[in-house]
Amino acid sequence: MELLRPSSVEELDGGIPFHGGTEVVPLLREGLLDAERLLDIRGLVPRGIEAGVIGAGTTLAELEVDPATPDALREACRLAASPQLRNMGSLGGNLLQATRCWYWRLGYRCRLHGGDRCHAREGEHREHGIFANGFCASAHPSDVAAALVALGARLRTSRREIAVEDLYRLPDEADRSTTTLESGELLLEVELPAVQASTYLKAMDRKRWSFPQVGVAAARHADGSARIALAGVAPIPWRIESIEELDGATPLPRTEWKLPLARALVRRALAALDQ
Amino acid sequence: MARLIRTEKEVEGRYEEVWIVVEEDPLEQWPEGPLTAVGRSAPRKDGHERVRGEARYTADIALPGMLHAAVLRSPHAHAKVGRIDLAPALALAGVRAALGPGEAHGLVEEAGFAGAPVAAVGADTLAQARTAVEAIEIEWEELEVVLDPDDAVRRELLTAEPRSYARGDVERALAGADVVVESTYRTQTVLHNSLETHQAICEWQGDTLHVYISTQYIWGIRQAVAETLGLPEDKVRVVCEYMGGGFGSKNSPDEYTYVAAELAKRTGRPVRCALTRREENTSAGNRNATIQRLRAGARSDGTIVAFDGEFTNSVGWSGWNSSTEGPMRMLYDCENVRTVTYGAQLNTPPMKAFRAPGFVEGTFGLECLIDELASRLDVDPLELRRRNYAGSNDGTPFSSKNLEECYRRAAPHWERRHEVHARSDAVWKRGVGMASQIWYGGGGPPSYAWVRLGSDGRATVITAMQDIGTGTRTAMAQIAAEELGLPLEHVEVVLGDSARGPYASISAGSSTTPSMGPAVRAAAADAREQVEDIAEQRGMPKDTPLEEIVAVLEESQILGKGARGPNPTGMSVLTFGVHVVEVAVDVETGEVRVERVAAIHDVGRIINPLGASSQVEGGIIQGIGHTLSEERLLDPETGGVLTTSLDAYRMPTIADVPEIVCDFVDRPDEHLTNLGSKGLGEPPIVPVAAAIANAIRDATGADVHELPISREEMLRALHEAEERARARKKETRGAPAAV
Repeated sequence: MELLRPSSVEELDGGIPFHGGTEVVPLLREGLLDAERLLDIRGLVPRGIEAGVIGAGTTLAELEVDPATPDALREACRLAASPQLRNMGSLGGNLLQATRCWYWRLGYRCRLHGGDRCHAREGEHREHGIFANGFCASAHPSDVAAALVALGARLRTSRREIAVEDLYRLPDEADRSTTTLESGELLLEVELPAVQASTYLKAMDRKRWSFPQVGVAAARHADGSARIALAGVAPIPWRIESIEELDGATPLPRTEWKLPLARALVRRALAALDQ
Repeated sequence: MARLIRTEKEVEGRYEEVWIVVEEDPLEQWPEGPLTAVGRSAPRKDGHERVRGEARYTADIALPGMLHAAVLRSPHAHAKVGRIDLAPALALAGVRAALGPGEAHGLVEEAGFAGAPVAAVGADTLAQARTAVEAIEIEWEELEVVLDPDDAVRRELLTAEPRSYARGDVERALAGADVVVESTYRTQTVLHNSLETHQAICEWQGDTLHVYISTQYIWGIRQAVAETLGLPEDKVRVVCEYMGGGFGSKNSPDEYTYVAAELAKRTGRPVRCALTRREENTSAGNRNATIQRLRAGARSDGTIVAFDGEFTNSVGWSGWNSSTEGPMRMLYDCENVRTVTYGAQLNTPPMKAFRAPGFVEGTFGLECLIDELASRLDVDPLELRRRNYAGSNDGTPFSSKNLEECYRRAAPHWERRHEVHARSDAVWKRGVGMASQIWYGGGGPPSYAWVRLGSDGRATVITAMQDIGTGTRTAMAQIAAEELGLPLEHVEVVLGDSARGPYASISAGSSTTPSMGPAVRAAAADAREQVEDIAEQRGMPKDTPLEEIVAVLEESQILGKGARGPNPTGMSVLTFGVHVVEVAVDVETGEVRVERVAAIHDVGRIINPLGASSQVEGGIIQGIGHTLSEERLLDPETGGVLTTSLDAYRMPTIADVPEIVCDFVDRPDEHLTNLGSKGLGEPPIVPVAAAIANAIRDATGADVHELPISREEMLRALHEAEERARARKKETRGAPAAV
């Protein structure tokens, strides 16, 4: 394995980019990622916040303390992982992290690994999804992604400009990936529109260092509308238009408990916007 | 004088009859209360070494030329090795030797659980060893997998004969009771997850095997390794100077030791075999899950007349049937008790002792049942416990029991519940719960210590015991300093090496302090008596400081030796305590916050109040994990462990730790040794789950019956309580008007 420090995005093809390494290194160690070439992209990706634009290389720890960070994003950062991980983990890397589904992490040949079944659906799934869980029951782990979707953030990559929610796609038979990122494409910046208010609420198994059982981000936008996005409920960050949309959830036998939890958190998040 | 006696030896609630040589214990106990060194808080003697990273744990040991081993483990929950070919592994770079099933003790041909060790490789680097293990070619014949404990009991797939116990006539007592409560409680499988994984380094020097190992029982390792490998015990040296946690899971050598020993023999090099974190979660033991079907009957005045319990331990592929019924038999005065305990043999990883095995699980069931009974009787839970106070252990007198004093001290904490309830609001409901604790912890002989005293007035305690992280090193120094009249800083303790000191007790069953402490005191007393002889010969007054007397010794040394005396015959030596817990429950999201724990324990004399508090805090934190967030999950299809990393297996973080108030009765047990001290390693975890569950019931009215009380269980119980309340309301509304 070789480690390169490319000096331009053109040199990215054919390797695995990493920034903080908090996700890539464990995946390599477990054999879930296989790389001939590792690309240290810390020199390529902008870092810091300026006038509503956040460099994808900004760490979660930096976002947590920057006065320009909107509340939903600050809370999402503060409640994510541990201080050690937040010191290393970048915004871009956080958006691209893989599921915590134990079957996937342990290398069971599930649909996301190219197999023909979702082990969690029939097996142990108490931490899994309540939406869009027919093909793959995994639950998206990123607090930050839910916050950015609610905030209506846009993403500039080395090739295009898209809404953050368009970075994600539901996996299907033809394409098992959960993002629309192309090989060699790099996340560069996140642009945040000004919002009136925002918040992020997170339910965890313990007080700290836990992925979201359910995370709810909500933002009151300039036109007065509220955007809501959830973490931990579907294979990708999950946007709902209103609390009533939770009635359309399709929980598995042991994820039913997430529904009343999601209801309570959405209600609280919306109430917080008006305070 | 030495005396050979036949005695009952107890470890973790298991008894065996043994012959042992004991020496009488002629020393009078010290008076009650804090003394000069004993009973005073002392920071750990090795605290600085530990925080500076100088303390050498087994995981830190790197011997010149040392090889690394990796173990091939079964991916199947039940399967036989059909064909195995080690040659592809042996052909790889850096590989020095490989072992198949049967080639080292513990490497098996029939894997009874996913994670069972079957083969191993030794290589220059760990990465090479792991790659080589992957290269081993193996064919499996898969066998039937049994994962359901009730199914196993029905089919009589048991690890041992069911254990039955009875006194009185339970059926008659239940029939005549004013109130009968019946409940099923379930506890989950939890993992020790010691910070230092299970590991050993083995090195042959001539015909002597040196074993560096993370262990709770140096002498047990020496004995077991010698027996298994057919060596004289003196040809096995066992070293464990610092320990990164064991909690009951490190009492025996296991496959990693034998793999290291065999690879070391074949290669002539030292070999390390260390479990990875994932292996630690699949193959290093666990607290087994239980199902407890319980009944209790009482008269309307609160007198408990009957207990009936059927207990199923999900033992796993191997292990023992722990005393889940113990608290039901021992905690209360009840004439009619009947229990049966099944040990289900399943294709799951084997249980190992885990901090008060059986009693942690059994206390959860029993002490929740007592609160259900209190609620039905409309009797205050503290009052109900006091009314059914046991004066003896099924007829055998207690060597000492101050549980009543624990209850007395618990009362002010219990009184806080009115103020705690008042702090509830629409979302956060607050409540208070309590639970009592009973457990062993008396230790026993044999155990020995030596004390070496030089002319500089400094003493060294020498004994081949282990300090498993509980602070024993400090406690032993305090005891010796007290007896010798020396400042604590002038006493060192040498431990952790079977070649450098006499036999010492296992550190399990809360036995280290009560087993080792009296031996250390006896050795120090022997040295002190010799010093007094010298003083007398030199005509020095009786109160001459020890330093002055020994100052003339030059190169001469005073050598004292001491042994642990016998336990009192015909008496039950047990530990007691009470916890009072305050919780807050968010009734909309099911979040449970433990806000305050008051822990009152009766473990005889306290040697080091600071160390004792730290044991209590650790036990409570581990208990909170057991109660709220920890659970080992299996794939129901394959039996494979799914929670194999510390982000999937959720232990509490420091942010989850509540306010903890420690209180010790601190009265020496007048019948127990020259110290009157019992052990404290296990007692603090025993009542935690029940006290939290009872507090949750008090706060919300929700009946929680299963551990862990995750949000899933909490939201289920809240929903059920709501439905119950709604049905009651409907009933009241729909009832015909009184005529």
